[in-house]
Amino acid sequence: MRMKGFAKHYYLMLIPGFLWLFVFSIVPMFGIIISFQYFNPGKGILGSDWAGLEHFKYMFLLKDTQEVFSNTLVIASMKIVANLIAPLLFALMLNELRLMILRRWIQTIVYLPHFLSWVILGGIVLDLFSYNGPVNQLTALFGFQPKLFFADAQLFPFLVVGSDVWKEFGFGTIIYLAALTGINPAMYEAANIDGAGRWRSLWHITLPGIRTTAVLLTVLSLGNVLNAGFDQIFNLYNPLVYSTGDIIDTWVYRTGLLNLQYELATAVGLLKSVVGFLLISVSYYLAYRFVNYRIF
Amino acid sequence: MKNKSKPLALLLACFLVLGACSNTTNNTPAAPEKSAESSEPADPFGRYEEPVQISISIEIDPTDNELPPGDTPLDNQYTRQIKEALNVDVDHQFAATGQNLRQRISLAIASNDLPDAMVVNAVELRQLVEADQIADLTEVYERYASPDIKSIIENTNGAALDAVTFDGKIMALPGVQANADGIHLLWIRQDWLDKLNLEPPTTMAELEDVARAFVEDDPDGNGKRDTIGITGPESGGKLYANFLESKNNLYGFDPIFSAHDAFPGYWLEGEDGSPVYGSILPETREALANLRDLYSKGLIDPEMGVRNKADEPIIAGKSGMFFAPWWMAYGPLTNAVKNDPEANWQAYALPLNQNGEFRPHAATPSTEFVVVRKNYEHPEVPMKLLNNLFKNEQENTFDPSKGGPGYYPLRVVYAPSDEIEFTVKALRDVLAGNKTAEDFANDKAYKLLPSDIASIKTIKKEPYDSMDISTWNPEANWGAWTRAYSIMVGGRPLVDTEFEAVSSLLYEQTPLMESRWVNLRKLEDETFLRIIMGAAPLETFDTFVENWKRQGGDQITQEVKDALAQ
Amino acid sequence: MVRDRTFGNRVTDIILIVVLIGITLSCILPIWYTLSLSLSSNSAAAAGKVWLWPVDFNLNAYAQILNDNQFFRSFWISTQRVLLGVTLNFIMVVLMSYPLSRTAKELKGRNVFMWILIFTMLFNGGLIPLYLTVKELNMLNSIWALVLVGGAQTLVFNVILTMNFFRNLPKELDEAALVDGAGPWYILFKIYIPLAVPVLATVSLFSIVYHWNEFLYGLIFMSREQFYPLQTYIQQLVVSVDPSTMSEDQYRRLSELSNRTLDAAKIFIAMLPVLIVYPFLQRFFIHGITLGSVKE
Repeated sequence: MRMKGFAKHYYLMLIPGFLWLFVFSIVPMFGIIISFQYFNPGKGILGSDWAGLEHFKYMFLLKDTQEVFSNTLVIASMKIVANLIAPLLFALMLNELRLMILRRWIQTIVYLPHFLSWVILGGIVLDLFSYNGPVNQLTALFGFQPKLFFADAQLFPFLVVGSDVWKEFGFGTIIYLAALTGINPAMYEAANIDGAGRWRSLWHITLPGIRTTAVLLTVLSLGNVLNAGFDQIFNLYNPLVYSTGDIIDTWVYRTGLLNLQYELATAVGLLKSVVGFLLISVSYYLAYRFVNYRIF
Repeated sequence: MKNKSKPLALLLACFLVLGACSNTTNNTPAAPEKSAESSEPADPFGRYEEPVQISISIEIDPTDNELPPGDTPLDNQYTRQIKEALNVDVDHQFAATGQNLRQRISLAIASNDLPDAMVVNAVELRQLVEADQIADLTEVYERYASPDIKSIIENTNGAALDAVTFDGKIMALPGVQANADGIHLLWIRQDWLDKLNLEPPTTMAELEDVARAFVEDDPDGNGKRDTIGITGPESGGKLYANFLESKNNLYGFDPIFSAHDAFPGYWLEGEDGSPVYGSILPETREALANLRDLYSKGLIDPEMGVRNKADEPIIAGKSGMFFAPWWMAYGPLTNAVKNDPEANWQAYALPLNQNGEFRPHAATPSTEFVVVRKNYEHPEVPMKLLNNLFKNEQENTFDPSKGGPGYYPLRVVYAPSDEIEFTVKALRDVLAGNKTAEDFANDKAYKLLPSDIASIKTIKKEPYDSMDISTWNPEANWGAWTRAYSIMVGGRPLVDTEFEAVSSLLYEQTPLMESRWVNLRKLEDETFLRIIMGAAPLETFDTFVENWKRQGGDQITQEVKDALAQ
Repeated sequence: MVRDRTFGNRVTDIILIVVLIGITLSCILPIWYTLSLSLSSNSAAAAGKVWLWPVDFNLNAYAQILNDNQFFRSFWISTQRVLLGVTLNFIMVVLMSYPLSRTAKELKGRNVFMWILIFTMLFNGGLIPLYLTVKELNMLNSIWALVLVGGAQTLVFNVILTMNFFRNLPKELDEAALVDGAGPWYILFKIYIPLAVPVLATVSLFSIVYHWNEFLYGLIFMSREQFYPLQTYIQQLVVSVDPSTMSEDQYRRLSELSNRTLDAAKIFIAMLPVLIVYPFLQRFFIHGITLGSVKE
């Protein structure tokens, strides 16, 4: 077969990319060794003494670590779900909008918050929810007492997820819109001729059309299950909400930067990677098993 | 193709891994060659025959635009003077500001890719000593420190040298800052007091009354109940300064704690003479109960601890009181006065404790340290740079308008401990006509005094004994006003009040703190803030004390005891 | 083709429009806020008086920026970085996605390659070895450090997205080309790439946004401000300072520099390029959507 001769060209195509990843992704992984050492920067990685699993044991003993792991899981999984559903809903709503000019404007505008960093947005969000801020003024109209939202540990995770969705949904929409373009217009026409209404077309044509994208994004985002968003939380939290808002990354940042505990920071980072990898593998398997689709 | 690429890639990998790793190890051999240096006579200001290179880290804000056209951070009045006076060429290994600088230093330490010299904090210093990455500077200090700098360092009752001495060796050159930075005062809107016919509050009870009046009696006269009695810390701010960060805590409650004789965050001598951590003592509980009460009555900013910028209400003229050190015109007051020329902020050494005393906590004089990389060929260069800076600041060689002193390589502050108090008295004498600039010609250690004296009359109007904002003319020179107002208003209570400051037994970390302190600190911050803001009952304090002791506090206390016994 | 204009449909339309416009307005808010801040006087900005409209309107901040050489130098570095980064990302994504979209039979070891990619996406050794690697390659202070390190970390995600897109293209395309005697390079460049414009535009946008907004590597790998990309420069404006280790003249210098109006103006200008580029790329999507989903 002629296809047979293709293989060597395929490998040729892969070489530059893998070389790139090798140098800048795989080689630096030797740093993981630090988490198994009493790392002494003066002696370097080759010269430091071995600590075995001590840092990992200490990590699991710390009450804080358990707290930050569970906070991270809660916030991150809420974010994953919300950030899959919100852009999807929005893309579908937009897809149903018939005023083309309006649609174009909306599409152009909703992605804007994505480009702003949390350093800037954090201040604005805190302003919005401040004691005399617009939100409290609004609730006051309905007779509520002013409330200090960001001091409430119960509310904090929801505020974090909510503000994150607000920032990211517009951009997430892009992927779905790109997927929607892949749907053959003839199918809508056919449905219309068959007398299918708007909702039925949505259900039978649009949704199946973007199923692959949705599954793919879900699985990929599972790798992020321990990334609850450092920048965001760092700019929004305070000690009052540590109990529900302190996450692995903020904790590691304080540990690493204030106390220069590289080993512990690396150990926690490694655990994060392992959990992420396991989750991706499991979901890969599940997607294959139940939807019969290999994501990668 | 496929087969060829594999060995190539492997080769590259080996090169990289080995290269990267060997780099971290090859710094150990080659002992510094001291012999040649020792034979020369040590001259603290001596010029090198051959040009000497030094790479450093520097705290520079890249958005800083104050250098004259053509100058760069590597080529300016400071570097040119250094080249000429010492024949030293300076290079920056990295430059950053604030948290970014800490991150960059942390990375430099961890990757053992240190510049020849850099300025670090106490925690970083400790780490560098333990990893054996920096040079012993005992000899450098003894042979090269200029007499002026030596006298400033030695006038700290040993505190400055203690901070850098490990196993009897001087491992870094300590900076020395004025004592005044560690004394936290009550700043209050005098015009609001006058309007409401109130006196500055001396006791906690009076403080509460004043705060209530500030909240309820519409001091800004806009007919709305929109004023804050007492400003509290901003998000990420500290409730009180602690033994590791013992100075310049803005908008904390330090004087309220000390009015209860509580010194949280400090290591104190317990009743039995052994060290005890101030945060777990009953006095702290009492102070927290008081703060909790004030907060629940709405007298403390309801948004304390959450607000992004605590200075906003101060600048906007919505807050009546806050606690901070003397230099607040450098802080929010410049903008506050620009915003409302009648905002009359005055400082007091108040409130007093039950015995009628003001008992602030004292800071360590040294928070910045110059370290030198092990095996750097000329370990005395940093010391010479500091000598040269101090000498030229005395001689007024540099023009701060052509780039601030922050551009000077390895700059740390050397200030006599009583700089502020001395300047207050001097300026008062000058204003009263008792003395002139010539009378201070010999007080060269007070580097800024000549310019302070030169400008004071352009910005201070008569009567000279009143410090009300109406007796100042800030428009004449905002820069000079900032300094003069800070000194004359913020420094006044330091001169006019008798007080004895409480020191921490220790201002450094002990070994166990390296792994435990972050978590204990988190426990403390979280609990205290929750208690004050009513998110947790006062009794939480008792469980906090137990948890603190159990989670390593007891062991650390023992370590502190051992460290002090040495 | 005209859909039914039933009453129900019209109500749905109106609700849809109201909801969409509400959401959209909330997305402009932060940018509007930054803009009005940049046009206000500094003392009003510092006092927190500015909200939806500039106070003491003036253009001083923008006049000041014109004199700031470093701002424009950083702007240029960021522009170069984005151009190089996006080009490299585009080439590598195309070259890697195509072979990986083949079956394991056509490309031996394909699944192993995929898992290696996933592995590099999730695991890392931390900043220390990354810094050492870049140093050994003599890339400190070079724009290539920014392009290559950052690019390697976003490459895999983009490859997976594109690979899935390729894989879902109809097999008939290949077969037809094979019959015509086309080789793998021809198929990739003449058939796959033109069809993949929406997904390639998407991943290019990801890449643009990433390279434009990333600031940490600028800080880590660049020794001097003259090498900083724009976001590293901007980040220094908002980085938190701790007065406890400072002397008062340092604090004064910082607070003199702290000019919220000027900061806001710089942030606003820094946002502009992405805001301008997006509508360009968006045309691909809009084009696709008009073709794809609704026809009036």
